[in-house]
Amino acid sequence: MTLTQEQRLVLEAVRRVAREVLYPLAPEYDRKAEYPWPQLRALAELGFLGMTTPEAWGGVGLDSVTWALALEEIAAADPSVAVIVSVTSGLPQYMLLRFGTEAQKRRYLVPLAKGEWIGAFCLTEPQAGSDAKSLRTEARRVPGGFVLNGVKSWITSAGQAHLYVVMARTEKGISAFLVEKDTPGLSFGRPEEKMGLHAAHTAEVRLEGVFVPEENLLGEEGRGLAYALAGLDSGRVGVAAQAVGIARGAYEIARAYADQREQFGKKLREHQAIAFKIADMHVRIAAARALVLEAARKKDQGERFTLEASAAKLFASQVAVEVTREAVQVLGGYGYHRDFRVERYYRDAKVTEIYEGTSEIQRLVIARELYR
Amino acid sequence: MKFVAVIRQVPDGESRLKIQEGRVDLSGATLILDQMDEYAVEEAIRLKEKHGGEAIVVGFGPERTEEAIRTALAMGCDRGVHVVYEGFADPVAVAEALVGVLKEEAPTLVLTGGQQADWDSQALGGALAEALGVPVVAWTTALELEGETAKAKHDLDEGAEWVRVKLPAVFTTQQGLNEPRYPTLPGIMKAKKKEIRKVQASLTPKVTLLSEEIQEKSRLGKILDGKDPVAAAEELVRLLHEEAKVI
Repeated sequence: MTLTQEQRLVLEAVRRVAREVLYPLAPEYDRKAEYPWPQLRALAELGFLGMTTPEAWGGVGLDSVTWALALEEIAAADPSVAVIVSVTSGLPQYMLLRFGTEAQKRRYLVPLAKGEWIGAFCLTEPQAGSDAKSLRTEARRVPGGFVLNGVKSWITSAGQAHLYVVMARTEKGISAFLVEKDTPGLSFGRPEEKMGLHAAHTAEVRLEGVFVPEENLLGEEGRGLAYALAGLDSGRVGVAAQAVGIARGAYEIARAYADQREQFGKKLREHQAIAFKIADMHVRIAAARALVLEAARKKDQGERFTLEASAAKLFASQVAVEVTREAVQVLGGYGYHRDFRVERYYRDAKVTEIYEGTSEIQRLVIARELYR
Repeated sequence: MKFVAVIRQVPDGESRLKIQEGRVDLSGATLILDQMDEYAVEEAIRLKEKHGGEAIVVGFGPERTEEAIRTALAMGCDRGVHVVYEGFADPVAVAEALVGVLKEEAPTLVLTGGQQADWDSQALGGALAEALGVPVVAWTTALELEGETAKAKHDLDEGAEWVRVKLPAVFTTQQGLNEPRYPTLPGIMKAKKKEIRKVQASLTPKVTLLSEEIQEKSRLGKILDGKDPVAAAEELVRLLHEEAKVI
């Protein structure tokens, strides 16, 4: 694919911050399971937390293709940082931009796009995962607004984010609410101890008698699930781009290792068994990226991109798991050692087959779209 | 006031270079604004921010150099001039090709990197000063404007000296002078709308490139027999001292 001059400059800028800030800090933040604030601040200063939000709302106004390419670069350096960026830009900002009022955009979209705020997306509940429609969090109408009660689980950036887009049940169906972090009654669980993405905190969000004023209802009452699904289409392109980045990060390490490590008197890359692995990794990454960019292109053209987003997410997440596993194999015993980074990419890759819709849900979405 | 940074585009130090028929093949290389020139761009922007006026980036090189000029505009330069020339040109020829544009701009001062990363030359700053008939201060690590003059710190091998120089003058830049900013995304978007004036270079190269080769680094592969540890240690020290000359 031929990049435009603007895309090349954006990628040069993101590669630089990835090389100088994200990549060096990634192992330490993974080990300490610490939320990557310095990295997010470095990205925010350069405008990378509001890439697709228009300039008028504090963002940069990049197209989704450039956004996806930049997310890939961020993920190649640190997948934890990438998921935070993907969620805050792909979900809350996208939903506010599409469905928010002027006042909501001014109050929430601007700080999110500038990266002063981080956004979280609260759909999943302990009993409502893939079956999102069965969510139980309820929003009871009271004078001047709503009172929310319920528990949300697996929320990226919970406890760190400043704004929570919460899906809750009202008389008219599922509705979306904008809840600020310091709202009374809102609390957070301890970060979950996950297999990977240690730096990207994931925790429960608990709502106990949380009063949300009328003006913080996002869009129309009862339309929340539709908004969430629209958000997920966009979010899935982000996760797919992240998956491509995870695969590429591991691939680059494996390739460099195969160039340098010698066994049986020749370099690993001169052994066909390894050269073939490298070749397969390259092809898979290229194919996954092509699907991601196709989804992003459709989104940019304002067309329905549900199928493409799911296809990209399904395939890229599978590629991430396969490529990172093979990367560990290329490094052999060293691949199993924390100091060589590929084991982290391997751990980080798995969740891309699970979050923002499991691979099974993606197949469901794709099949439904095909028979629409 | 006008502050001009003269820049070139060079291969990224991490790029893998290939040789094709005796010439470096840049087709697979990532090309970037020369990092030594970044200090010049940053200083021009800082001077403009402090004293007002204009920060102008003047780039020399083939069509693709426009991207490096765009990077300088994204960092904060106000406008660019691209002196277009395909192929190799030695620093003295480059300076002569730029002198017309620079005289027309009549800048307060000119900054450029202390060293050109691609041809490993330090001559451009001096050649520019010669072509313009103005003084040059090389390897600047601090720079202050004082009316018609500038005070600059110039690094020596074992120390430094402060000099005062009449303006206009040429300063060559290096690490330590400042911390170049990253181009921000809003900066990149703004840079799209900034003017880059194209000028076709007229120059006669004084040096012709005959061929290029990439240095092959091979290891000595010396292995000491460690059966007698004391003798092995003595031999290692002797080799490090006499052959490697590192201790």
